[in-house]
Amino acid sequence: MTAEVQPVARPPFDAELRAGLAVVGGMFPPTITPDLIDFMRVSYAAPPIEDLLAAKGIVCTDDVVVAPDGHEVAVSVLRPKDAPGERPAVVYAHSGGLMFGDRFSGIDLVLDWVSDFGAVLVTVEYRLAPEHRHPYPFDDMYAALEAAASRARDWGLRRDRLVVAGASAGGGLAAGLALAARDRNGPALRGQVLDYPMLDDRGTTASTHQFDGIGVWDRVSNETGWTALLGDARGTEAVSEYAAPARARDLSGLPPAFIDVGAAEIFRDEAIAYADGIWRAGGDAELHVWSGAFHACDIFAAHTSVGRAMIGARNDWVERIIAD
Amino acid sequence: MQELLGRIARLDPSASLGLRVIACFDELMVGNVNTRALLAAAASLAGCVAGFHSETPARTVRIDPRGHHADDVRPEVDPAFQQDVSDGLTVWLERNGARQPNDAIVLERLALAVRVRHGRGRESDHRRDLSLLLDPDVDVQARCVSAITLGLRPGMRYRVVCAPLFAVWPEHPQGPEDVVATRFGAIHALVLPASAHEVTAVPSGVGVATEVEDLHHSFRTALVALRLCDPPAVGSVLADDFGGLIGLLADAPDGSFQPDVALVDAVMAYAWGAETLASVVRSHSLRQAAREAGVHHSTMQSRLETVNATLGFDPFEGYGRTRLGTAYLVWRLRHSRVLDLPAPTAAP
Repeated sequence: MTAEVQPVARPPFDAELRAGLAVVGGMFPPTITPDLIDFMRVSYAAPPIEDLLAAKGIVCTDDVVVAPDGHEVAVSVLRPKDAPGERPAVVYAHSGGLMFGDRFSGIDLVLDWVSDFGAVLVTVEYRLAPEHRHPYPFDDMYAALEAAASRARDWGLRRDRLVVAGASAGGGLAAGLALAARDRNGPALRGQVLDYPMLDDRGTTASTHQFDGIGVWDRVSNETGWTALLGDARGTEAVSEYAAPARARDLSGLPPAFIDVGAAEIFRDEAIAYADGIWRAGGDAELHVWSGAFHACDIFAAHTSVGRAMIGARNDWVERIIAD
Repeated sequence: MQELLGRIARLDPSASLGLRVIACFDELMVGNVNTRALLAAAASLAGCVAGFHSETPARTVRIDPRGHHADDVRPEVDPAFQQDVSDGLTVWLERNGARQPNDAIVLERLALAVRVRHGRGRESDHRRDLSLLLDPDVDVQARCVSAITLGLRPGMRYRVVCAPLFAVWPEHPQGPEDVVATRFGAIHALVLPASAHEVTAVPSGVGVATEVEDLHHSFRTALVALRLCDPPAVGSVLADDFGGLIGLLADAPDGSFQPDVALVDAVMAYAWGAETLASVVRSHSLRQAAREAGVHHSTMQSRLETVNATLGFDPFEGYGRTRLGTAYLVWRLRHSRVLDLPAPTAAP
């Protein structure tokens, strides 16, 4: 008769990562409600990047590409300073829940591809929600992808070795780019790197409900992000698969996908389902589900054994695809 | 993580970063992680290589801020950045240049964690003053010594504020603060003068005012208040608002037999249950409850008929009010998600 409440059953966080949350929680609360968007825009803004680029021997050139509505989207083209000529390239969408962050947020890990594999990185200042709803963030990214192909010579890129990549919200955008490039006969892609991607606006998976109020990016944060992007359309049949790639009915004909995700985060189930969908359609996907990992733990706690393993597995895959 | 600490400091210049360093190593000790993981955390927090040397067996480990092994040649280290852990064990930070604000605390906690990991320091009580002050099992004399060490004055009244480490602090009042291990994980505890009522941190709980020897009680009521939070609707809860009731809640064992709570559960099963009970416990009449809930009084009347039938008593009559109010708060505590962190396995 007693009203005992069973705690939510969920996989535990890794011990080193749980320790990391004591620090991460101070700048990235588990539950992001709309009133915290301004706080997050300050806390998640990328720090100055010049010293890091200099230490890694990377040259940064700023440019703009034009979105379908005429908006000029800022992009940075980052290349190794001692690698002239046309290089393999990655078009990158940053993390930040579609509402915060900038084109240098979480860039440290991606810079390894420039310094270690000689890639050129095109990172994009796509417009943010809620001020700019779908399709603006997606259109900005697609404009950058098209520019990477059409201005390949200018930017020193190899059109035949083009990859899209993104983390979290950026992972969802990267998956949308791969779908759109297929549907529109757009630039040929050699791969898509989807780090713990934000794919599904419906919020109905088991993992979405297992991590409520804890870790990084919980159910409520996800609702905040999708509502910012889609408004009242969130969860309805009106949502485009370029905004929420989990809704895509056809996952055939896509470039090889690398998908990683934590076992202890809300995106676990949608990431697994997306990889499974690609396999069922006869495609190529490599899926890593990291035990004990919270969302984006490789960005926040790269020093941990789980963080290092995640970064190592991803870099091995990227090296296979793009290195000379 | 050094970079993240910098962001926290920019967001809240008065935030105690040392407290987060402490919480981080507390979790690592609870998790019983190895020397490499401890050095990796220290290196990441400090932004420079962290090292370890043991004489027997002879072993040197150096880890960089990304958690990778540096070579195992023991460098010359400034004695100011080196600490003897125990006989034959040494740890250090390879800081080139001026001491950074968190270096001392990182080195101290690293040394403690390495000592425990190597089985050299399990028996003694390593807790710090605020943890001792807030533990009723510690001798009252020792608690008063801790209070004085923290700059608190016996005879004066204070209250404890509790918040999780992920709380957002628009303003940060000054007072002794630390992380305290609880069964809900590491909790940020802060002691303020009794006159401080309003705290802007979300979520947070403000305990009742007591003298220093009873601050453990203030802490327990603050923890209950914190668990009654439900952000963003209820960001901070003041224990004073519940008077003596919150002391009873703080001292009631978890899972105690509470038949009235099962009745509340049955009411909460209705879609309108939570909203209706929330307005009933704040009202003295059906009409006021209807206004609070923003529904027509006839709607409230029909809901209350169901409530009365389900509870088996009238919540506006005699002890019915007390029974519902108490059961409602216990229900909220049992369904609280505000501290829903995976519990550490070895905390008291």
